[in-house]
Amino acid sequence: MNSTDLLALLPLLLIAATAILVMLAIAVRRSHLASALLTVLGLCAAFGTLFIAAPLVPRDVTPLLTIDSGALFYIGLILAASIAVVFLCYGYFKQEEEHRPEELYLLIAIAALGSGVLVCARHFASLFLGLEILSVALYGLISYERTTKASIEVGLKYLVLAAASASFLIFGIAIVYFEFGTMDFGGILPDSPAGAVDSATIAVGVTLIVVGIGFKLGLVPFHMWTPDVYEGAPAPVAAFVSTVSKGAMFALLIRFFDRSGMRGDSSLVLVFSIIAIASMFAGNLLALLQDNVKRILAYSSIAHLGYLIVAFEAGGAIGRSAVAFYLVAYFATMLGAFGVVTVLSRPGNDLGDLSGYRGLFWRRPVLASVFTVMLLSLASIPLTAGFLGEFYLVAAGVSGSLWALVIILVVTSAIGLFYYLRIVVALYSRTAQPAGAWPSRINSHSLSWTLGVLTAAVILIGCYPSPVMRLIQTMVAGSG
Amino acid sequence: MNLWLIPLFPLLGFLINGIWGRRFSKALVNLFAVGSVVASFAYVLWVLSALYPLTTAHTETYFTWIHSGSLQIGFDLTVDRLTAIMLLIITGVGLLIHIYSAGYMEHEGGYHRFFSFLNLFMFFMLLLVLASNFLLLFVGWEGVGLCSYLLIGFYFGEDFANNAGTKAFVVNRIGDFGFLLGMLLIVVHFGTLDFATIASAVASMPVEASAGVLTAITLLLFVGATGKSAQIPLFVWLPDAMAGPTPVSALIHAATMVTAGVYMIARAAFLYGHTPITLHVVALIGLFTAVMAATIGMTQNDIKRVYAYSTVSQLGYMFLGIGVGAYSDGIFHVMTHAFFKALLFLGAGSIIHGIGGEQDLRHMGGLRKYMPITFITLLAASLAISGFPGFSGFFSKDAILSAAYDYAPWMYWVGVITAGITAFYVFRAFFLAFFGDYRGHHHPHESPWVMTLPLIVLAVFSVGGGFLNVPNWLAPMFPNVEHGSPLLMWISAAVSILGIVIAYYIYILKPGTAESIAAATGPVYKLIDHKYYVDEIYGALIVRPVEAFSRTVLWKGADIAAIDGGVDGLGHRLRGIGAIFRQMQSGSIRNYATWVVLGSLLVLFVLGLAGGGR
Repeated sequence: MNSTDLLALLPLLLIAATAILVMLAIAVRRSHLASALLTVLGLCAAFGTLFIAAPLVPRDVTPLLTIDSGALFYIGLILAASIAVVFLCYGYFKQEEEHRPEELYLLIAIAALGSGVLVCARHFASLFLGLEILSVALYGLISYERTTKASIEVGLKYLVLAAASASFLIFGIAIVYFEFGTMDFGGILPDSPAGAVDSATIAVGVTLIVVGIGFKLGLVPFHMWTPDVYEGAPAPVAAFVSTVSKGAMFALLIRFFDRSGMRGDSSLVLVFSIIAIASMFAGNLLALLQDNVKRILAYSSIAHLGYLIVAFEAGGAIGRSAVAFYLVAYFATMLGAFGVVTVLSRPGNDLGDLSGYRGLFWRRPVLASVFTVMLLSLASIPLTAGFLGEFYLVAAGVSGSLWALVIILVVTSAIGLFYYLRIVVALYSRTAQPAGAWPSRINSHSLSWTLGVLTAAVILIGCYPSPVMRLIQTMVAGSG
Repeated sequence: MNLWLIPLFPLLGFLINGIWGRRFSKALVNLFAVGSVVASFAYVLWVLSALYPLTTAHTETYFTWIHSGSLQIGFDLTVDRLTAIMLLIITGVGLLIHIYSAGYMEHEGGYHRFFSFLNLFMFFMLLLVLASNFLLLFVGWEGVGLCSYLLIGFYFGEDFANNAGTKAFVVNRIGDFGFLLGMLLIVVHFGTLDFATIASAVASMPVEASAGVLTAITLLLFVGATGKSAQIPLFVWLPDAMAGPTPVSALIHAATMVTAGVYMIARAAFLYGHTPITLHVVALIGLFTAVMAATIGMTQNDIKRVYAYSTVSQLGYMFLGIGVGAYSDGIFHVMTHAFFKALLFLGAGSIIHGIGGEQDLRHMGGLRKYMPITFITLLAASLAISGFPGFSGFFSKDAILSAAYDYAPWMYWVGVITAGITAFYVFRAFFLAFFGDYRGHHHPHESPWVMTLPLIVLAVFSVGGGFLNVPNWLAPMFPNVEHGSPLLMWISAAVSILGIVIAYYIYILKPGTAESIAAATGPVYKLIDHKYYVDEIYGALIVRPVEAFSRTVLWKGADIAAIDGGVDGLGHRLRGIGAIFRQMQSGSIRNYATWVVLGSLLVLFVLGLAGGGR
């Protein structure tokens, strides 16, 4: 490891340093504002070092990590989303600071670090390391509201299930190691370029790995935790779980399958097709039955991850750029949607019930309009980022001739429109909540600015995607 | 030429009224809303006069919008003769309806919101007809659907309006799914979405070899058109859409948006020209829709619903025209229909406005004494839609019908009978509203000049619009089509007049005949009165099974634990960590873990199965 390697690793190092600094700062003096500010500055600095690292890549740093432009892109995305979540958290917890929100930012920085490691991983050891850094931080984040039982219960639930799925994963890794004698992604299936899962042992190993990854992504049938966690966790944390944690895992999934020869394996393609179809149907149909906005968003995210699998299966430069673009759109939209929920919630008392949103437009027109934009983007209506994201996904699916998947994607997303409209209808309903049901105005500049930026991003990307797409094509498309 | 300015004006109107409209006075809202459309209309006139005679298309490219692999999609706008007609209809009729709305919406809440949505609609509609590739057209296409949703649901408090808006949006979305797939097939087959590029590619390719793909593309696009233009099987949303304010019905659900499907097919004539099978399907769907909607129109009592079904029916005529190859006659009918149908709706709005919000024909009557201008103008519109000789509908509808005769004589005869039915039910509504004794309670009054002025202008065009020789103007763009002998036109005119006479006999000379006819035809009447039970059939076939499936199979089978043992269980006020653990042991977590195990077994099974097959 030489100095250039260290420079390339600088973004991750700075995120780690941020976590330590925040911890030390809390030890010296508790201050909500200082913790949040320090985290934001640290993450911004890490974002800045991406530009230092960019000319030095691609390079392998230790046998564990590979830093290429694709990884840098995803680290950037993770950082941007984490910064947004920090802003949301600040506005959210500022209302009741007796929750001792300072360590929250520490956990966010650690989770961002784990996600960053994941997107750079090229080795099972780093995969597991990243995954566990992320997961352990998430346990804390999800049950951060120690005084509410919902938060603690879902935290425990997530802990048990995530630990179980991690044990699946590690057992799978062990089996694959047993078969090939290496933990490097590139060393798996080295002799069969077409890739084949042909022995029973490997099949078991790969299955267990798929389960581990599928759980983190919340894909059907490993999705059960998603609605509960989204409902029980504080709204900004749910935003983090639905974006950063899933996005990083997805980037890892692509790298894992591209590096090992498994992409070409027809039976794995079939497995992922089934998972994608199940996720698209179950996510969209079950969302129809929900009366809780956070649960609707949870099922919606299950469906959206199902859509992403379509582009993942298409593969190649088109598939990779479609996934990257979709993740950008999805991040901005989901953060925005949860941001609105955050504005209307108080720690320990999140506004989940759909009926609680009735008539929001008549009292808080701007906020309701922002929510509408986010919902329309989730429903992929033109001139929002979501529409172009779906267009790219479908284009990638078509280029891979995945007709069945593409048709199911389009059909289920048409069903999806219906439950997004249910929320919109509630927002504009005349039977408004009594005055005082909601905070009379956005209580913090951090919230209003974050929502403003996210709304602008969703609309701008939807109207003029070229800059983002150009960036993705130079950074992500070529890196396999 | 800066074509982008044309849609920009309404967009600015939308932004200004949308952001600051709450603080504006009504006059200021009017200034921006109506002013932006005036600017757009004036600019269209200027552009068209500068480009006249527009023998070749004028295209402007601005920037590359989407770049994905080899696929390049530009933000390009085009004006040709077809677009010119549409631009004039949209901005011209749109302007009149904006002016009218200023009077109609005077006493409604959310004044600025209404106008900002209306301007947004103008923006998307103009984008739709100016687009020079399928994707940009699709943006406009979805955008007008969104605005239609927002405006139908304008009376947000009323559940019906909300349901109607949602229904419209969802049904349209089903159609859009066809459009999207058709578009993707075009990308795969041609590698571009640009109209001109595809047209030249089609012209130089061996068409027979790719007839299958072309047919698939055109059929899928047509699915989109049936959604937007309310044809069988996706027409169910349009009559419900009348829950929105009446000017919206006039602008969006009669004059402009619903004709987007017709426009799109005419725009893609270079594809449809090579697919006789699709054209046959288009003609059949159009014809059947025309008949079916016309018969339903005979039994409706809500004046707006009568006109809504007549819109569905007239759109059927347009598709019939396109299907038999008479593209320019179809577009001609789009134009004349825009005049007389906008007038019918605005006239209906004037009546509704004048008698205190009543829409039921049974509570009108004798209004000619109270609302002379509305009476005269609606008479002109009714004669126009009936195809009375010399009125605009006569020229366009009968051009379509005589082209249909040349294609297949039976289609002509069905179309003629439908024309007779049309004349009957339109005049039924007319006689019920204006003749006899007033049966309502509210004191009727004529509408203010802001409302009657647009009526008068539209009446002039409804009468004289047929003399604008649109088919001749469009002739260079489309293949020639044979028309039957002029005698055919007079036959259909005679049938229409017969329809008017019958309506006069039943509803004026012998009031009460209607009831005895309804009684005599029993089951048939009931069938038509219930709109052929289409809504019920869709409910039973599609909506309820989907609901039942997600409720029983997915929900009960898989996710039920989430409600039983999930976070909702916390309402039970558990005490302490121990209680939480207890609950989790008995509750969902085992269930979830079971699913993870079952899922992994499934994955293993598929891997083994597929692997074993090798």
